[in-house]
Amino acid sequence: MIGEFEYVLLTAAATLGDDAYGAAIREQIESTTGRRCSIGALYTTIDRLESKSMLATWMGEATAERGGRAKRMVRLTPQGVRAAKDFYNAIMRVSRKASWAVEHRKEVV
Amino acid sequence: MSLSSSVLQTVSHLLTPHEREAVLGDLAELGANNWRSTAEVLDLYFRHRIAHWKSWRPWLAAFGLAIPSSLTLMGLSVSIAQSGQHWINENVLNGARLTVGPGLALLLSNIVLLIAWSFTGAFVMGSVSRRTVRISVTLSFVPCAFCLARFRIESLSRLCLLLFMIPAAWGLAHGLRFAHIRLRSAIFLAAIITVLTIPAWTSKGAWLPNWALSWPAWYLVATAARGTRSLKDHHPWQTN
Repeated sequence: MIGEFEYVLLTAAATLGDDAYGAAIREQIESTTGRRCSIGALYTTIDRLESKSMLATWMGEATAERGGRAKRMVRLTPQGVRAAKDFYNAIMRVSRKASWAVEHRKEVV
Repeated sequence: MSLSSSVLQTVSHLLTPHEREAVLGDLAELGANNWRSTAEVLDLYFRHRIAHWKSWRPWLAAFGLAIPSSLTLMGLSVSIAQSGQHWINENVLNGARLTVGPGLALLLSNIVLLIAWSFTGAFVMGSVSRRTVRISVTLSFVPCAFCLARFRIESLSRLCLLLFMIPAAWGLAHGLRFAHIRLRSAIFLAAIITVLTIPAWTSKGAWLPNWALSWPAWYLVATAARGTRSLKDHHPWQTN
């Protein structure tokens, strides 16, 4: 099974869709989790997920706000989607009877 | 160009060109200043370095090969240099007739062993973990520096400690280029090493350094056999 940060990164990349690349994923992670995400942690995890065939990356377009430098675009592979789904289902199963999960369900209802 | 910008440009060359392009672009887009960007680039670089050590391979290359092999091969290098000097003094400088006796046979056997052990050990060190080879090489110099500083044999040059470095450099260069050698060559090397170490099997204590130096040759046989098998699986029409 993938790790917590790997799941967060896969989910951020999936949420961003065609706009998923380093800086955008980092901002997405920081804004949703409220935790700092270093470039080092981000890129080593992208490399690891790519070596596990869960992500595909390629060099994209360059923009002026990036100083004319290209983006490293990221896309989930079917294996990545499956791994993220497995992680999500496992977390949901394990949390089912936890007090905070019960409270959360009540709030939603 | 400011100092911080120069430092960032220099440090960023630690990354691969594609990674440098993407990371510097991301940092520019996120509005990080040059010093912060330098810290982020260094963080990424060290995370990559550390990630290599999560495998058993660099540990084997550094602590299973580089340090023990260089230590043992230095001892053999000095022994060969002393035996060679003794043989030259006895047979050449004293003007006596050249005799081929057990002393010369042992000297030649040790020279062949030194070359074969150094070549195979360094080949495996280079092929097993290419990305950490600089650290492995540096570690192999640690026992050398220690022994060079304490070398006390008047009649010999300190450089004789480093005789093994020549075949080792040859083996390392090959190991960095190829994952394995041909099966026939690997079996030939392993057989030579095993046959030449047979006389030492009966002596107490000698078996440990012998096996510590001999296993890379048999490791090369195993990897060559695996390489040949996978080649046959992919190209069944090729017999070698």
